[in-house]
Amino acid sequence: MTQSGIINNPTLFSETLFEKMKKLCPALETLEMYEFNYCMENVVPDTGWDLVKIEPVAAIEKRITDIRFYKSIQINKKTNGSVELDTQVADLTRTLFLGLVTGAYPPEWIDAHFYFDPRGFLFFARTVYFTEKVKAHLRGKPYMTFEPRQRDFERVQGVGYKDFKAANKEVDKCFIRFVQKLIAHKKTPILLAIAGQTAAGKTEIVERLTNSFTSAGQHVTSIELDNFLTDRDYREAHGIDSEGKQALHFDLLQQALKDITQGKKISIPRYDFINATSSHDISGNLKPDGVPVEVEPADIIFMEGNFPFLLEEIVDLIGIKVMYLTDDPVRMKRKWKRDMDYRKKYQLNYFRNRYFKDQFIMAQIAYIPQLEVCDLAVDTTRAAIWASAEFATILDAK
Amino acid sequence: MSELRAKAKDFDSRLYEKMQVILPSIGDLELYEFGYALKNLCPPQGWDSIHPLPGREIETLVSQRGFYEAIHTRRIAGDRIVLDEVIQRLTQMLIVGLLDGLYSVDWVNEHFYFDIRAFLFFHRTRYYTDEVLSHFGGKPALQFAAKQRQLEHLQEIGYREFSHANAEIDQAFIDCVVKLVSARGTPILITLAGPTAAGKTEIMARLLAAFAAQGKRITTIEMDNFLLDRDIRGENPMGVLTSHFELFKQCLKDIRQGKRVSIPRYDFINATSSHDQTGILKPGCTPLVVEPADVIFIEGNFPFQLPEISEAIGIKVVYLTDDPIRLKRKWKRDIDFRKKYDPTFFVNRYFKTQFLRGDDCYAPQMRCCDIVVDTTGAALWLTPQIAAILDQS
Repeated sequence: MTQSGIINNPTLFSETLFEKMKKLCPALETLEMYEFNYCMENVVPDTGWDLVKIEPVAAIEKRITDIRFYKSIQINKKTNGSVELDTQVADLTRTLFLGLVTGAYPPEWIDAHFYFDPRGFLFFARTVYFTEKVKAHLRGKPYMTFEPRQRDFERVQGVGYKDFKAANKEVDKCFIRFVQKLIAHKKTPILLAIAGQTAAGKTEIVERLTNSFTSAGQHVTSIELDNFLTDRDYREAHGIDSEGKQALHFDLLQQALKDITQGKKISIPRYDFINATSSHDISGNLKPDGVPVEVEPADIIFMEGNFPFLLEEIVDLIGIKVMYLTDDPVRMKRKWKRDMDYRKKYQLNYFRNRYFKDQFIMAQIAYIPQLEVCDLAVDTTRAAIWASAEFATILDAK
Repeated sequence: MSELRAKAKDFDSRLYEKMQVILPSIGDLELYEFGYALKNLCPPQGWDSIHPLPGREIETLVSQRGFYEAIHTRRIAGDRIVLDEVIQRLTQMLIVGLLDGLYSVDWVNEHFYFDIRAFLFFHRTRYYTDEVLSHFGGKPALQFAAKQRQLEHLQEIGYREFSHANAEIDQAFIDCVVKLVSARGTPILITLAGPTAAGKTEIMARLLAAFAAQGKRITTIEMDNFLLDRDIRGENPMGVLTSHFELFKQCLKDIRQGKRVSIPRYDFINATSSHDQTGILKPGCTPLVVEPADVIFIEGNFPFQLPEISEAIGIKVVYLTDDPIRLKRKWKRDIDFRKKYDPTFFVNRYFKTQFLRGDDCYAPQMRCCDIVVDTTGAALWLTPQIAAILDQS
């Protein structure tokens, strides 16, 4: 059968694709052919496969590593009230399907640059978090590794927390032990910041760390960076991006962190998310009707927020800087269950568009830069813990 | 504030325990995942604002058509379709009543099932009424091990698991139809009705294959082709007044005599028929041609129990799968794979139509069909007449 023969024969196209896709994405092995065809109904171009272009691999590689590509994705474009799948996102999967069927793209090449999410039925670009620079900062190799049990998730469409926790059991346990050892060495009070992607498992690991400290008789508290946000009206009027220190009552934050690490009780701003206002005015004074958040002294203070390690003036106040990471395909599967099935939070296409866009952009602006300065990095997917040279030395000590 | 939060947390964990008694697979969720799902159901004024009705009143409510007819499937708030208030209120009452001890677990399970993905209670449709039971002589002709029970703990069901669980009952059904056809002779008309996602398409494909293997000529006629233009019939369901009924009767007559027939063609995109209301081919339209065949399957949900056509049909089958299993199949097939509906619209519609469809289509057909295949109960029901024919052959 010639190539154009396959392209013009929908049944043969689908069968060839299904066989090849099962090897790339083992979760598809549970599908019957007709179920795969149902999934394909949304992908097959209205005008047939003839008009889909095979792009050179170099052009594709260039595009998927260029942040402008992701920035141009429209996540919330609507027709008749429902959100559309971004055409670039949809077309990428079509191009890869066609190239896979015709043999233009070797499966190994696709696998190296993309992963296929079975429920979204789309290819997503693989993000490289452990760049050469990150690896160099973290001594070139993991400090400790375990059996990567998340591999079993390749065969399922969605991942619930019970299975996720079970897969991470060893690496989480070791991580908790490491943190205890580091705290014993660094002494309390100590600021502990854990950053990581959405659905990496941050909330749950913070909760388990908290339990371990509490049961050892230590006092634990937390400071949310978001509480230091200034009034949104002010930020918008002055064109201030919500991600930098300009968006925060930064002097108050610096003072608060200094005080709490000296064992003092602190009183910090309170941000009202509903009205988008701070309890404090722009010069840092409590508003007449403002009620601050009182934070009692504690031994361990968790710092919560997306970019804690990127604020240069405060980074030295953080005693332990942890990156808690899970690979994109696994996080996507967790989000299908948590955010889509249980919370029913987003429209389907908005969710797919946003994940495609954000996983790359957030990696570049938030996670890779923070990995370059962190003390410990937990990679739950590869069941590996990485440490900076300084922290490895502390962990090495008896 | 923290007191309220503690109270809410206590509510979540007590319900989490209780719901595991109702449905053990709730235990696959962590408490916090359960809490996420529950949050969408929590009324703005808190759970204290829910006052559950006595069980008797609930039973009356959910057995009336009006309750379902009032459901809005596509009401929009903001930019999203919202869950119908009636559906939401029912689950809220059941939850609070369960925790307060007003309803027993057994009572809830008898009348309702809980679907985790929707995170709602649905009414169990009662397909086996006394009338249906007596039509089939009170008990099934064949009973196998009910293997779909093993699917109860799954949150989603794909076709592979489903067909595997049904292997024995499906084979027995196919054998039975093959025997009946040779006892009754050809050409023969067979109808296969059943609720959405019961597995009709798949069993039909297997029946066709079984007859093809015997060298029989087979064909299928889609009932929808007999629909009148949508502008004429409105939203009324398929029936005598909404279809080319005379043409249909003539078609059945001719095809049973081994003739080649020409039938109307329905255009789903424009919702128009090739034939006008009086049954005459419109200019520029082409009819569908059905070649003579030995075994003719008629697909679709037509009221085949109508006396005028009932006798023309050689074998009338209803193929059933229980509501909770069909719902799980639809989550996978129609939502995950096909991405066909907005999930909230889907839930509203399933809740509404499972009752109304049962009442309109399946209950009347079960009272007069020849065979009921119950895949969930793994039971084959035969009328005494059909059982007698099979015994002789």
